[in-house]
Amino acid sequence: MTAITGRIRSVTAPVRAAFARVPRGVYSALGLAAAAIFPLLNVWGVVETAWLRVGVLSLLFVMLSLGLNIVMGETGLLNLGYIAFFAFGAYTTALLSSPKFELRWPFLAVVALSTVIAMIAGFVIGLPTLRLRGDYLAIVTLAFGEIVRLTIINLQDFTNGPNGITGIYPPRLASEGAIASLGDAAWAKWLTVDKPIEYYYLVLVCVVVVAILLSNLKNSRVGRAWNALREDELAAVSTGITAARAKMLSVVLSAGIAGFAGALYAYYSNVISPESFLFMQSVIVVCMVVLGGMGSIPGVILGAIVLQALPQMIREAAGAARSEFEVYRMLIFGVIIVVMVIFRPEGLLPDKLWRSESHEVDPRELEKTRQSLFDLEEGEKDLEV
Amino acid sequence: MLHERTRKVLALALAVVLVFGLFTISGCKTDDGGEGGDATGEAETIKIGVQTALTGPLPDYGAAAKNGVELALEDFGTFEMDGKTYQVEIVVLDDKAEPAESGIVAQSMVDEGVVGVIGSLTTGATLSAIPIYAEYRIPQISGSVTGPKANADSVDTFYRTCWSDAIQGEALAAWAIELGAKKVVLMDDNGAYAVGLADVAEAALEEGGVETLRQNCQSGDKDLSAQVANVKEFAPDALIFTGYHPEAGLMRKQMIEAGLGDVIFMGGDGIKSAEFVAEAGGTANAAGCYATFGGFPEDQQPGYEAFAEKYKAKFGEDVGPYAQNNYDAFGALIAAIKAAGSTETEDIIAALQDLEYEGVTGTFSFASETEGAVQRGDIVVAGLTPANVPRYVIEGEDWVAVE
Amino acid sequence: MSLDHIVTVTVGGLTVGMIYALIALGYTMVYGVLKFINFAHGEVFTIGGYTAAFTLLALGVNDAMSPIVMAGCILLALLAAVIAPMTVGFLIERIAYRPLRGRSRIIPLLSAIGVSIVMQQLIILVFGPTPVSMPALALGSASFSLGGIRIRVLAVVIIVVSALLMIGLTYLVRSTRIGKAMRATSQDMEAAEMMGIDTNKTIAFTFIVGSALAGIGGLLVVMYYGSLKYDAGFLYGLKAFTSAVLGGIGNIPGAVVGALVLGMTETYGVSLDLGFLAWFVLAGLVLGLYIQMVRVPGRRLQHIAEDRRTPEYEKSVKNVYRLAPYFAVKTLLAERTDALLSVSAEHAVRLMCGNAFLAASAAAMFVFGDVRIDTRWQPVIAFVVLMVILMFRPSGILGEAITEKV
Repeated sequence: MTAITGRIRSVTAPVRAAFARVPRGVYSALGLAAAAIFPLLNVWGVVETAWLRVGVLSLLFVMLSLGLNIVMGETGLLNLGYIAFFAFGAYTTALLSSPKFELRWPFLAVVALSTVIAMIAGFVIGLPTLRLRGDYLAIVTLAFGEIVRLTIINLQDFTNGPNGITGIYPPRLASEGAIASLGDAAWAKWLTVDKPIEYYYLVLVCVVVVAILLSNLKNSRVGRAWNALREDELAAVSTGITAARAKMLSVVLSAGIAGFAGALYAYYSNVISPESFLFMQSVIVVCMVVLGGMGSIPGVILGAIVLQALPQMIREAAGAARSEFEVYRMLIFGVIIVVMVIFRPEGLLPDKLWRSESHEVDPRELEKTRQSLFDLEEGEKDLEV
Repeated sequence: MLHERTRKVLALALAVVLVFGLFTISGCKTDDGGEGGDATGEAETIKIGVQTALTGPLPDYGAAAKNGVELALEDFGTFEMDGKTYQVEIVVLDDKAEPAESGIVAQSMVDEGVVGVIGSLTTGATLSAIPIYAEYRIPQISGSVTGPKANADSVDTFYRTCWSDAIQGEALAAWAIELGAKKVVLMDDNGAYAVGLADVAEAALEEGGVETLRQNCQSGDKDLSAQVANVKEFAPDALIFTGYHPEAGLMRKQMIEAGLGDVIFMGGDGIKSAEFVAEAGGTANAAGCYATFGGFPEDQQPGYEAFAEKYKAKFGEDVGPYAQNNYDAFGALIAAIKAAGSTETEDIIAALQDLEYEGVTGTFSFASETEGAVQRGDIVVAGLTPANVPRYVIEGEDWVAVE
Repeated sequence: MSLDHIVTVTVGGLTVGMIYALIALGYTMVYGVLKFINFAHGEVFTIGGYTAAFTLLALGVNDAMSPIVMAGCILLALLAAVIAPMTVGFLIERIAYRPLRGRSRIIPLLSAIGVSIVMQQLIILVFGPTPVSMPALALGSASFSLGGIRIRVLAVVIIVVSALLMIGLTYLVRSTRIGKAMRATSQDMEAAEMMGIDTNKTIAFTFIVGSALAGIGGLLVVMYYGSLKYDAGFLYGLKAFTSAVLGGIGNIPGAVVGALVLGMTETYGVSLDLGFLAWFVLAGLVLGLYIQMVRVPGRRLQHIAEDRRTPEYEKSVKNVYRLAPYFAVKTLLAERTDALLSVSAEHAVRLMCGNAFLAASAAAMFVFGDVRIDTRWQPVIAFVVLMVILMFRPSGILGEAITEKV
C-alpha cells in the first residue's frame, strides 16, 4: 500500500511542485471568478435557470458548512443540531417579512436581527453545555435541534405549525420610496431581489464576505486559540487561553452564520416549513465539513459544493436512473462519513494542523496522553453533582 | 505550501464542476432536440410538466400519480385545434417531497418551457412551487394536494382535482353528531394533513355544541398509553383520528386493550387503508371503525370502472392512490387548452377558471374565489355537501361503503 | 383525576420504561467498556425486530397452531432476533469502530452516525420502506385484570425479561472471567493487554452481547406493538441513550432506573394535571436542597489539605454552600480568593440556580394546578430530559460507573 502511494507521490512530485509555485490567492481568485461567471452562462443561454437555483442552494450550504466548521473544525466541538440555528434565522425572517403578521421590515434589519437571534440562541445553549466533553455535547446539541423543530411545529399560532409560513416578501436593498424614485433606471430592478440570478449574486457576496472574515479570523489570535483548544485543551489553558470564552465565541459566531444563512434561505425560498430543518439536514452539513476537511476553509467550501451540487448533476446526467440514485443518496452520505473518518480524517483539502496531527504522530499515542490529561481535568470540573 | 495546494485543488474542482455541469446540460439539450424532431413530424409539440415525488417518503403515491398522467397522455396526448395537430410531451421531474428540492424542480419546469404542470404530490413541496409557477404564469393542477390551506395566497395559477380536507373535516363532524356523540376526542399526528383536518372538524363539532378534547401523537410513535389514559378519563362517545393508518391502528389496538372498545372510532381517508385492519391487531379489533373519504367512492365515480381496467392493462397492478385524480388533472388541462384555443399560458389560465370538465371522478369545475373553507382553485363538484361525503365501515377484512 | 387514571398511567409508563431499559443496557455496556456512544445501537435494535417479525411471518404463525409448535416458532424467532443483530454488531465494531480506537472522542462518534445512516438505508433496501406488521396473535393481546386494571401478559413478560437480563448482565460483568476482562479493558486498555487480556476479543464480545440485548428488545417491541418501521431505531436509540445517561452511563442497574424514570416522565408529563406533578418537583427540590446543604459540603471538606484544615476554613467552605447566594457571590466577587473556595462558590451558585428553578416551577405548577400539558409536547419531553441531565448532572442518578461499581 505505502509503496504504491510512495511511487505515485514521487511521480506526481514535480507536477505538484510546479503548482505550488503559483502564488496563493491565484486559486481563490480563479474559484471566485468561476463562481461569478457561472450565472452569466445562464444569461448566455448555456445553462438553464434551474442551475442557478442549484447554485443558490449550494452557496447557502457553503455558508452553513463554513459556520459549522468554526465549531467542528477549528474548535473541535461536534454540533449535531446545527440546523436549529438556521431555523432560528429563517423563522425570524419569515415572521418579520411576510403577510403572517403583516410586517415588512427592511432587508438589512431583518438579516441583522436574524443573525443576532441565532447568536443569542447559540449563547443560551452554549452557556450550560460547553463544559461537557465532546460526545455529550454532540448529543445535547442533537436534542436541542429536535426541541427547536418540534417547538416550531407546536407553536401553531406563531409559526403556522406544520403548514409553514408562506408568501415571504423578496428583499429590497433600498427603501420602497428610493426604488420608486429611480424610475426606469436599468439597475433599479436589481434593488428588489426576486430573480434567481439576483439571489445568486446576493448570496455569493454574503458567502465571500463570510469566507474572508473567517479566513482572517482563522489566522488571528482567536483562531489560533480555537485550534489550540482543539489540539490540547489543558495545554491551551495553561498558555493563558480562557477556554470558556474562546469556545463560547466560536459557538456564538457559528450560530450567527447559520442564522444569516437561514435569513437568506427564507427570502430565497419564499416559504419555509419545519420539514426543512430535520436532523438529517444537520448530518448532511456535518458530512460536508468532514468530506472537505475539518478546519480547512477551501476544503469545507469544496465539500459543500460537491455534496449539494453533485447529486443534482448526477440526477441530470443519469436521467431515468435518477430515482435509483436517490434511494442510494443517504446511503452514500453515510458511507462517505465512515470512509473519510477511517481513511482520510483530514478531508479532501486538509488543513495544515489536522494533517500534521493525523499522519506524522502516532495518533493513538497522542490521544492516549491527551485523554489522560483531559480525564484528570474533567474529574475536577464535573464535580460530584 | 499547503495553502497553495488547497487553493489549487479547490480551483481545479470548481473548474471540473463547471465543465461537468456544462457537458451534462448541453448533452441533455441535444438529446431533447433530437427526440422532439423525431416525434413531431407534422404535429406541433407542447410540453406538460409532471412534478411528483418518486423517491422520498411516499414513493407509491408518486408512482401512482405518474401512472395516472401517463394513461391520460395516451388518451388525450394528441389533439386537434384550429386544424393543427398537437402532440403533448410530458416532462417528469422528482422533487422527493422536499420543499427546497421542489423550488429547483419548478424552475426546471419553467426552463423546459412547459405550458402547464401536473403536481406536486405533497402539500409541503407544493407550497414552495406555487410562487414560482405563479410568477412565471404557468397553470398548475395537483391531483393529490388536499391540505385546506395549500393556496393560502389565492393565486390564479393553482388548481386541484382532489377534494380539500376541509370538506372531509366537516363531514366527519357531521357524522359524529349524527351518531349521537356528545363528547368527542380529536387526535392528529402533528403533520400538516392531520392538523388541518382536525382543526376543521373541531371547529364544526364545537359549533354543534359537542364537547371536544384534542390529543396528538407523532408519526412513528409506538406507545400511546398517555393518550389512551387521557381519552379514558375524558370518557368520550367517539374518537376521530385524522392521521394515517399506522398510528390509527395502534391507537385502536391500545384503546381496546384499555377497555375502550365501545368508543366509536372514526377517521379520514388517512386510515381508509386495508392495512389498518392488520395494524389494529386483526379483524376483531378493527370491526366497526368508520372512515370518510376525500372523494366520491370508486363505484360512484362515473368513469372509474373503465379507468381501472385500462390502468390494470397498462401497468399490471390495481389503481394506486390518487391516480384517477391525476388522470383528470391532465384531462382538464388539455380541455382548458382546447377551450382557450391557444397554447399561451395566460389563455389556459383564463380558460381553467370557466372550465367545466367531465372526468373519471365526476363533473367538476374550479372555484373562482376563496370562500369559507373552499379556496380559489379548489375542485367544485355539483351537489357535494359534507352530508354526502362517502362513508365507510370495516366489515371483515376491508372497508365497505355505508348506505 | 381519579386514582384509576393515575394507576393506568403508571402501568403504561412502567411498560414503556422497561422497553427503553432493554435497549439502554446495550448502550451502557459499550459505553462502560469503550467510553464511546454507539450511535448505531438503535438500528441494531430495528434489525432485531425486523428479523423476528419476518421469521414469524415466514413460519406462518397463527392462533390455530398448537401451543408447542407456536412456542417453537417463537423460540426460532428469538434465535433469529439474537443472531442477526449479533452478527451486525460484530461487523460494525470490526469495520467502523476498531480502526478508530484511541482517537479523539468525536471521531468514532462521527463514524457511528455514518454507520447508523448506512444501516437505516440498508434496512429500507432489504425490507422495503413500509412498516412490518406482525401476524395478530391471541398471545400478543392477552391480558388479565388486577384490581380492575387490565394488564397485558406481554407487559409482564417485558418487565420480567428486562429484570432477568439486568441480573444476568450484572453477574456476567461482576463474576465471570470475561466480565473481569471487560472491567480491566474499561479501566486501562494498555495495562489490560500487558496482563495478557485480548482486548480486541473482549471488546468484540461486549458488542455482541449488547447487540443481542437490542435484538431481544426488538423482538419484544414488535410483539407488543404489532408493527415496526425502518426508522424506529433512531428515536428508540435516543430514548435508550437518554435512559442510560439518566441512570448513569456505564452503570447497569442505572440504565434500568433511568429508563423507568424516563418512561414515567413521558407518560406522567402529558396525562396528569400539573398540580399533581408539582409534588414530584417538590420532592426534587427537597433532594436538591439536601445535596446543596449537606452532601456536597461534606464531600468538599475532604478536599481540604491537611495543613489548611482549620475550623474557620471548614466553616467558610460550608458557608459557601449554605449561605448561597450571599457568601458564594461575595467570594466570587472578591479579588483574591482561595482556589477551593472559588471553585466551590461557582459550584454553589450553580446548585442554587437549579434549586431556585425547581422552587419556581413547583410554585408555578401549583398555581396552574388543573392545567394539563398538551400531548403534542410529549416528544419534546425525552429531549428536554436528555439536555437537562447532561447539562446539570452528566454522571446521572446512580453515578457513571462501570469501572468502580461493577
